[in-house]
Amino acid sequence: MSKAETQFVYVTYIVATRDAVWQALTDPEVTKRYWIHANISDWKPGSVWEHQRIDGSGAADVVGHVIENVPEERLVFSWAAPGEQTDPAKVSRVRFDLAEHKPGVVRLTVTHYDLEPGSGMERGISEGWPQVLSNLKTLLETGTAATLW
Amino acid sequence: MSTSQFIYVTYIRTTPQKLWDALTNPEFQKQYWFGMHQESEWKAGSPWKLLFSDGRVADAGEVLESDPPRRLVLSWQNQFKPELTAEGHARCVYDIEADGDVVRLTITHSIDREGAKLIEAVSGGWPRILSSLKSLLETGTPIPSSHQGAGA
Repeated sequence: MSKAETQFVYVTYIVATRDAVWQALTDPEVTKRYWIHANISDWKPGSVWEHQRIDGSGAADVVGHVIENVPEERLVFSWAAPGEQTDPAKVSRVRFDLAEHKPGVVRLTVTHYDLEPGSGMERGISEGWPQVLSNLKTLLETGTAATLW
Repeated sequence: MSTSQFIYVTYIRTTPQKLWDALTNPEFQKQYWFGMHQESEWKAGSPWKLLFSDGRVADAGEVLESDPPRRLVLSWQNQFKPELTAEGHARCVYDIEADGDVVRLTITHSIDREGAKLIEAVSGGWPRILSSLKSLLETGTPIPSSHQGAGA
């Protein structure tokens, strides 16, 4: 399977508004609570984004650029380990699609694509997204996140 | 042999026993599974079926393995769409594993056939069913369903 064909897709339905889900993806104060990292960016197309640790080091575990931003509807960014962002073979992309499934329920689809087939990154994100997105749903629906790490 | 497969993992703040009960209790199922429910004794060799709220059978098969509250394996054949029935028996595996203060549930639905329509159909249903189950167990309220029998 080629890089262009290698992707991971996860769909979850969350009892929340699209505004709340959007904020949970882009506000570092919220991402800290369910993702144990601060997602830092101004989220403008072309801007850098960083997935920073919250242990005080500020070290980034994932870096990339914002590709597309349609507030409350679609967010696309590139995704690479620090030091690998200049190697096209190592850079993947993540797309979030938010849709109102019914009033008060959001269908969130995460598509992580352009992955290097068989890579540690592919295995890692396939394990990671279900944890992160389960925890996001729990946080938005109950007000507290689970301890997954 | 070519296989079609759908895998979905979700983490739920509950216990393995409560999750097992939620997966096998018909009254509980009706709350999160598009109003549908299942009938079975949940023992290896027992028949099982998934019924629409009007009593029609949606899918049916046999319990292949039952190890409460850890693992349940079903054979699964669609009974209401001829083109899916013709694909024969799929296999649906539930794996339940405690992980800290949450439970990891993995659904693996597969059939020995490339490009199976059944797997395409259940791929749309499982995220809705399991999102609703997670909400129900964590908040006491499922995701409201305006649909009946959207499963395959």
